Amino acid sequence: MALTIISLIKQVPLPSEMRMGDDGLMDRTKAKSIINIDCQFGLEAGLQLKKKYPDARMIACSMGPASFENALKTAISMGYDEAYLLSDRKLGGSDTYATGLSLSTMLRQMGFSKDSKEPFVIVAGRQTSDGDTAHVPSQVAEALGIPQATFVERIEANDDGTITARRIIEGGYQMLKLQMPCVISFTPTGIKPRKPSLLGAIKANHSKVAIKSVDDIGMSEEAQKLIGINGSPTIVAGIENIESDRPPVVMASGNNQDQLVDSLIENIKKGGNTLVKKEAKEKKEVDTAGFEIVDLRGDNKGILTWAEVVGGKIARPSIELLTPARHLAEQLGGDTKITTVLIGKNVRPLAQTLFEHGSDHVLVVENDKLEEYLILPFAEIITQIIQKQKPEIALFAATTAGRELAPRIGMKTGSGVTADCTGLEIGDYIDKKNKRIVRPILHSRRPTYGESKLATILGFVYPQISTARAGTFAVPQRIEGRSGEISEFTTELSQGTYSTQILETVRGEGGLASLFEADIIVAGGRGTVGDELKLVKELAEALKAQGLKAEWACSRVVVDEGYAEYARQIGQTGKTVRPKVYVAIGISGAIQHIAGIKESGKIIAIDQNPKASIFRYADFGLCGMYQDIVPELIEKVKQGFTFGLEKK
Amino acid sequence: MNNTVKTDVLIIGAGPSGLATAIHLADLLKAKGIEKQILVVDKGQSVGSHILSGAVIKPQAFRELLPDVNFDEIPFDSRVSSDDMYLLQEKGGSIKMPFHPPYMNNDGNYCASLAEICRFLAAKATEKGVEIYPGFAISDIIYNEKGDVAGAKCIDTGIDHHGNKLENFVEGTRIEAALTIFAEGTRGSLTKKLVAKKNLAQGKNPQIYSLGIKELFSVPEGTIKPGEVYHTMGFPAMNDNVFGGGFIYGLKDNKVALGLVLGLDFVDPTYDVFRAFQIWKTHPFVEKFVKNGRLLEYGAKTLPEGGYYSLIKYYTNNAMIVGDSAGFLVMPALKGIHLAVYSGMSAAKTACDAFVANNFTEEVLKNYEQYIKQSPIYKEMYKCRNFRQGFSKGTLAGIFNFGTQILTGGAGFVGKLSTHDDHSYTKPINETKKPLFKDKSERYPIDKPYNFNKADDVFYSGTHHDEDQIVHLQITADIEYYSKENILKYGAPAQYYCPAEVYELHTDKNTGHQEMRIHAENCVHCKTCDIKEPNGAITWNVPNGGNGPDYKYM
Repeated sequence: MALTIISLIKQVPLPSEMRMGDDGLMDRTKAKSIINIDCQFGLEAGLQLKKKYPDARMIACSMGPASFENALKTAISMGYDEAYLLSDRKLGGSDTYATGLSLSTMLRQMGFSKDSKEPFVIVAGRQTSDGDTAHVPSQVAEALGIPQATFVERIEANDDGTITARRIIEGGYQMLKLQMPCVISFTPTGIKPRKPSLLGAIKANHSKVAIKSVDDIGMSEEAQKLIGINGSPTIVAGIENIESDRPPVVMASGNNQDQLVDSLIENIKKGGNTLVKKEAKEKKEVDTAGFEIVDLRGDNKGILTWAEVVGGKIARPSIELLTPARHLAEQLGGDTKITTVLIGKNVRPLAQTLFEHGSDHVLVVENDKLEEYLILPFAEIITQIIQKQKPEIALFAATTAGRELAPRIGMKTGSGVTADCTGLEIGDYIDKKNKRIVRPILHSRRPTYGESKLATILGFVYPQISTARAGTFAVPQRIEGRSGEISEFTTELSQGTYSTQILETVRGEGGLASLFEADIIVAGGRGTVGDELKLVKELAEALKAQGLKAEWACSRVVVDEGYAEYARQIGQTGKTVRPKVYVAIGISGAIQHIAGIKESGKIIAIDQNPKASIFRYADFGLCGMYQDIVPELIEKVKQGFTFGLEKK
Repeated sequence: MNNTVKTDVLIIGAGPSGLATAIHLADLLKAKGIEKQILVVDKGQSVGSHILSGAVIKPQAFRELLPDVNFDEIPFDSRVSSDDMYLLQEKGGSIKMPFHPPYMNNDGNYCASLAEICRFLAAKATEKGVEIYPGFAISDIIYNEKGDVAGAKCIDTGIDHHGNKLENFVEGTRIEAALTIFAEGTRGSLTKKLVAKKNLAQGKNPQIYSLGIKELFSVPEGTIKPGEVYHTMGFPAMNDNVFGGGFIYGLKDNKVALGLVLGLDFVDPTYDVFRAFQIWKTHPFVEKFVKNGRLLEYGAKTLPEGGYYSLIKYYTNNAMIVGDSAGFLVMPALKGIHLAVYSGMSAAKTACDAFVANNFTEEVLKNYEQYIKQSPIYKEMYKCRNFRQGFSKGTLAGIFNFGTQILTGGAGFVGKLSTHDDHSYTKPINETKKPLFKDKSERYPIDKPYNFNKADDVFYSGTHHDEDQIVHLQITADIEYYSKENILKYGAPAQYYCPAEVYELHTDKNTGHQEMRIHAENCVHCKTCDIKEPNGAITWNVPNGGNGPDYKYM
C-alpha cells in the first residue's frame, strides 16, 4: 500500500511585513510572501505522517498566480517530493466555492477521489490569513466525496490504516478516528513547521513545479462556468476600513523594574492615548434611473437555521443566531418564516426553547446515532432538508461545527458561503453591467485581512449561506410560552456516512461565573507557567484585599499544560469576558485569545517580548520579565494602587 | 537518511567577497571548459539582508570582476559629487579641513547600498550557473581524517533551548566540498574556529576592530544631494580618546546614510559606541541632515582594522579565506569592499589553478598569496601597514605616527607596530579614570526626535530569531568566574558596548545578586561581544538560518 500525502497550501502576504505607506494605506506591494501559517502546520503534519509511512509519496498543491511557485518550492525544501500549481487567468477572482471546485477537479484528475484504489490523505491549513474563511478543506472533501476533520491539532497514524485526529472544539477537544482517504485541516497550534534543510532547498532548486491550466485538469465546460470572478456563486460587493476601536498602546519606560512599574502606573493615571476618528468619506451614488428591479429568488423562501446541541442543551451561539434571523425575516417581510433544524438523540423537548427565542418552525431529526455532531451525517441531513424546504437563506453559528458544515453543505447545493459574519442585512445589488437592481439580496458583512477591513459579500445561488460569529449578536428576548410548528424529518443515511468515529469528547466544565462579573481580571499565559501562575494569583488576591472584584484567569496553553482548570480559560474556545480592566501577563496575544478580551474596558499587557502581538491590542504595555515586574506590581497594589478602579 | 550534499566548491557567505569568488571562478572555469558545481550559502534570509556598509565604493574592482557587464547596469546609488572632511568641535563648531588626509580621496567613487550591490552580484552569479542558497546557517567545519577541511555542516534545527530534539527536528545538511571558501565577513564564527585549529594567525598581529553604527533616513527634498559625501573627525570621539569618525552620505530619492565608526580598543568599560553615535547626531553639523528626517533602517557592523600585519594566513589545505574574514580592509579610507572583491577574484584564480591541477592542498593554494601580491590589495594595504596601530595610544599620537608613516612610506620610525586583542585594552571599572563615558554621556541628552534608544533602533534592523534554538550567544567562562571578573571587576561592559541591547545586567532587588541576561533575539550579528568581552568570555555562534537582521538598503 503506497500512501500519498497531499498538502494544500496558499501563499499570503506576511501580515507583520505590511507597513503603513506614506499615504496612510497598507503597503502590500512591499510585503513579503510566505506560506500561510496554518498551511505550514498542514505541511508539517504531512511530514509527521511520513514518519509512520516512510515510503509515502509527498505532494504539495496550490492554486494561484505563478508567484505561488515559491511557496511550493519551500514545500519541497521541507521534504515534499512533487509540486503542482493550478494557475489560470480564468480562475482569477474565484471565491472559496470555485477554489474548492477547481482544486478538487485537479486532484480527481490526478487520480485522487473516493474511488481511488490507493489510499491518500489531504492535509491543509485551517484557514488563510488573507481570507479567514476555513472553507476550502471542507469543499474539497465534499467535492471528492471523502470524510474530513477540520480544526485539527495533531494526528496519529494507526496500524490499521486509520488516522486518529485531535480536533479542537468549543471548550475542549474531540478525538476522531478517520478512514482514508480523508481531508484534515490543521490549526496553528500543533507541531511547529520545520525549517527547510539545505538538502531540500537544493532539491527544490533543481525540481520543477508542474503548472496546470484549467484545460489541463479536464474541467468540464459546465464546471468552467462556475469559476473565476464571473462564475463564482458569491461576489465581494464592497470593502470598508474598520477603524480600530482601541488607540495605540502606551508603553512603560525605564531601566529596571522599579522604573518600569512606576512608569506604568503613571501612564494609567494619565490615561491612555485617545483615538482620532477619521471622517467617513461620502459614497458615490450610482445613477440607477431606468434600472429594472429583479427578484432572483424563484420559489426559494424563508430562513433556515441549525440549532447545535451540546451536552443536551442548545448551544448559545445557535440561540444568538435567531437574532439576525428574525431581523432578516422582518426585512424580507410578508410571511417569511424561520425554520430551525434540530438534530440529535431525544432533542424534541428542546424545540420549545427555539420557539421562545424566535423560531417559527422546528424540524426535528431524531436518531440515536446522531447524539453527537458529526460532519458527514449532519451535512447530508441538512442538505436534504434544504433541497426539500428551499429556503432563500441558511444560517449557521460560526462555531467549529458550523464553520465546516456550511461549506460542505454549500458544495452540495452549489452555494457560496460567507464565513464568520458580524453583520447580516437585506439590501440591493446594483448590477451596472446588466442595468438592473437585484432585490432583495442578503448582505453578509465580515471582517477580513486581520480584522482591518469589513467586506460585504453577496451570493447569487439559493440558499444564500452564511455563518455568524459567536458572541456578536445578542441572545433574543425570550417570549415565554411562544410556540410554533413542530415536525419530524426522517431519512436513511448510507453506512459510509458514519465512517468517522468519535473516540472521545472532552469538554471543560462551565462554572466560575465570577469571571463574568469581575471588574478586574489578571490573566497569565505561557510566560507565567514557570511558577505555576503563583504571582498571577497573588496579584489577584492583593486586588481582592483592596476590596476590588478581582479574579484570575489564563490563556489556553496554561489549561492545556494542566496549570489551571478549563473554566478559567479566556478566549475563543474559552470564556469571552468584558471586565473594566484586563491585565494580561506573559500572554503573547494570539487572535483566539484576543477574541475573548476585546470588549474589556482597558487592557494592560505585560510581556517580555517587545514584539508580542498583545501590545497591539493593549491600552498600556510594559515590556519586562514576569518574575521581576509582578512582585513590584503586587507591592504597589498593597500600597493602594488599584489600576484606576474605585474601591468598593 | 542521506543527509549529505557533495559539491566542488562551497562558498560560505554571499557578501561581496564570496560572490566575487563565485563569479570570477565561474568565468575562469567556463573559459577553460571545466564544469564544476559552485554552491554559495548565506545565513541571511535573503542575499543582502545581512549586508551593511557605509558605503562609498571604489568601482574599478567591479569593472574587472564583471567585464561582460555594462558598468551602468551595476546599481550604484550615485557618483560622489562632493567630498569634504570636517573637524567637529565639542562646543558645536565645525572646521572644514582644507585638504584630504592622504588615501582618503573619493574622486570617481560611488555611494551605494552594498546590500543592493550584492543582490545584483547574486543575480549575475546565478546567470553564470552558481547556485545561491540564502537562509541556511553553517555551524561547523567538517575535517577529513588528515584534519584538513572537507566541507561544512548546517546547523540542526528544531531543538529547544537546552538542545533537546523537538518533533520538527531537522538535521543540518552536511556539505562535502573539494574546496571550501570562507567568506563570512568580519569575525566569521567558522573562520575563528579554522584559524584556531590551523594556527593561521601565528606570527601575525591580533586583528583589531571598529564598530560602525549606521542609520538610514528619508529626508525632505533639498537636505542633501545624491553623491554628497562628508566625513567627520573630532566630536564626540576625540575627547574620549577613542579612534574613529563619522560619515554622512547623500543618496538618491532623498535618503541619507550616516554612521559613526569607532575603534573597539577603548579602555573605558562603560563606553557605548551606540550612544556616542546618538550624541554625534546632536552636533549642529550632523543635526541639519537628520532633524526633519524619518528613520528607515538601523544596523551595526564591526570592521577588521588591523591592516596588513593582522592579515591571517588566508589559505590552508582545501580552504581559502576571503574578504573581511581574512582582514582585507584598508585604513584610513576604511574601505574593504573593493578589497573583498579583489581577494575573491584572487581566490577564484587560485581555485581554478587547483581544479586544473586537481590539487587542493597548500601546494597550489599558496598561489593565492601571489595573486594577492599582484592585485591592488597588496599595494594599498602595505603602504598603510602601520596606520591603525598608531592610534591605539590616542588620537594625537596617532596623527603623529601617521605623519611619520606618510613620510617613510608606511613604516613609521619603528618598523612594525604591534596590536593586542581589543578586549585586552578594557580596564577594570575601578581603574578607569573619571569621568567614565557612562557619567559623561549624561551631559549630552539624546532626546531629540532623531535620537533613538537601542530597543527602538533594533526594531528598524528588522532582526528576528526563532524561539526554538540554543541561545546563539554563549558565556563561555565559568559562571562564578564571569560574575567575579566580567560583572564585578569590569562592570559588565556588554550592557554598554552591545549596540542592540542584547545584554542586560539584572540585579535581584532582594539579594543584590547580579547576573547577565541575554536577549539574543535582539542581536544584529555585529559580533562586538565576541571581540570586546573581557577575557574573551562571550562566543558568538550562528543562530538558525534566516535569523538576524533584515537589511534592505544598508
